[in-house]
Amino acid sequence: MSTRTAGPRRVTPELIEAERVARRRRGLLRGLRLSGTQLFCFVVAAGFFALPLVYLLLQAFKTYPGFLKDPTGLPHPWTLSNFSAAWNQGGFGVEMINSLIYAVVPDVITLILGVFLAFPISRGWFKHSNVLYSFFVFSGFLPAGLIPLFVEAQKLGLYDNQVGYLILTSLTGAGFFFFVGYIKTIPRELDEAAAMDGCGYVRFIFQIIIPQMKPALATFAIFGFVASWNNLILPLIMLNDSSLWPVTRGLYGFFGEHTTQWPLIAAATVIVALPILVVFALLQRHLVEGVAGGAATGSAGVGNAPAAVAAEE
Amino acid sequence: MSTCPFGTRRTSRWIPWLSIAVPSIGWLTFGLYPSLATVYYSFTNYSGLPGTPETFCGLCNYRNMFTSNYSQLSQAVVTTLEYVGGVTVLQIVIGLGLALVLQRRRFGFGFYRALIFMPQIFSVTIVGVLFSLLLDPTSGPAETVYHSVIGGYSSFLGDSDLAIWLIVLVNVWMFSGYTMLVYIAGLRRIPPELYEAAALDGAGAIRRFWRITWPMLAPATTVNVFLTVMGSLGEYALILVLTQGQYHTQTLGMFMFNTAFGANPDLGLGSMLAMVQFVLTAVIGSLLLWVLRRREVSL
Repeated sequence: MSTRTAGPRRVTPELIEAERVARRRRGLLRGLRLSGTQLFCFVVAAGFFALPLVYLLLQAFKTYPGFLKDPTGLPHPWTLSNFSAAWNQGGFGVEMINSLIYAVVPDVITLILGVFLAFPISRGWFKHSNVLYSFFVFSGFLPAGLIPLFVEAQKLGLYDNQVGYLILTSLTGAGFFFFVGYIKTIPRELDEAAAMDGCGYVRFIFQIIIPQMKPALATFAIFGFVASWNNLILPLIMLNDSSLWPVTRGLYGFFGEHTTQWPLIAAATVIVALPILVVFALLQRHLVEGVAGGAATGSAGVGNAPAAVAAEE
Repeated sequence: MSTCPFGTRRTSRWIPWLSIAVPSIGWLTFGLYPSLATVYYSFTNYSGLPGTPETFCGLCNYRNMFTSNYSQLSQAVVTTLEYVGGVTVLQIVIGLGLALVLQRRRFGFGFYRALIFMPQIFSVTIVGVLFSLLLDPTSGPAETVYHSVIGGYSSFLGDSDLAIWLIVLVNVWMFSGYTMLVYIAGLRRIPPELYEAAALDGAGAIRRFWRITWPMLAPATTVNVFLTVMGSLGEYALILVLTQGQYHTQTLGMFMFNTAFGANPDLGLGSMLAMVQFVLTAVIGSLLLWVLRRREVSL
């Protein structure tokens, strides 16, 4: 920042001295303010946003009598038994595997189908590619179709079975809007060159387009994975048999069964939260950049709202 | 319109169509059809129980809801608006405040940003259980604080006047990080020359905020307000875990869910509520876009 003034100024020793004092004072002030901000930020970030989770974790180490005696204090004595009890009673092992299947399979299929849908539309190979695109976009604003989806699943035999649930969640086509713009940045010359060399369409998509789209696909894959893993409503409606439940549904049931056994519930919650916390710790930069990148498009990002909402449901 | 270079002269016309066929069919079956069928189901009295008929009954659900159950519907609309208003105002204020402080590239700030962003990666089940524990009226820390600071007792999520606002706070806790990140992206796009010029003119911090930062953040505010309003309008999963819609927390979405999948399922009535929700969302959404865009242009 330039602080030089326009007018000529005579430099006297007193002025230099005054300048030096002022500069030192400014530096000192900045230092103080900085540590103040640091402290403030730490208190806000840790106190408001992380402390609830730490509190939950502490409860999980309490014995039930210990919890009753001192519900809000530190565990005394400490115990690990809640974790094994919760793990065994909740059947979270099977549910973790279910969750993983319900998150990965639809994620991969949605991505691949999304590319196959977006590629010809972004290349403008149809007479009215723009109309087709707007049609898909505006469909995101239609009423929520949860109830007819439930009826449809029952009629098609997709209700309360694993394959059916995967079909339902894999074929909704979210993420497509995101891809159309991205594919436009991949030069058309690639298509022509590949076609001239006799490369087939499907092979071209898998070997050229999908690798080119890696950053976009990775961001979408992570958000899609987290959204499917966290989904509660769809498993609640579509899966009745508890052996098919994902962890979210399982924890919801577990919470209902053991309402006041807080140490046990806390242990179950920690177990369920841990995998996603690990994913977050590993991919934190990616998730944060994904949001910032989405926001970078400015108000155009509003167009992504239906896709984001669809991914959430 | 360009042509597809792949395949032979005969097959190249069909390749694009084949490419979009499978995803389109999937989307038509599980995306578009259910959405449109909601309109039809809202005109039937289908309970959803196996073996019961789905009979077309015209406006029966609408008539029923706007006469005998009118108070329940209007209560749900009021609750929804309270929820959306509370969440939006708080999340914008808190998100912007956090962004202003944490936008700088300083030691530890990336970690703080990640911590604040973290809650939203958890499922509503986890967040719901966590806050049920914190707000437990007999053994939660909220009770201890309430008892020692304000005095007396509160049933928190069991208190009809308080419950909805507590869920607002839980929602804000969960999603402020997102709002913050969008604002940080916006703040970093403001050219620093503007601040330099303002500093030369002797503008103070408050003046600089209202004259430069706030107007320049208009696109980010558009995104944040729009996403927050649209997101909270349809929210009910979190409410389901925290209160099941009891104690005056029955938003329209929650009302729809309870009607369609509760103890006495009524899919017809539930679909009608989904339609009410859709109309409300469409009206508020287009109104918002109109206002926010006009604001962006005028600033």
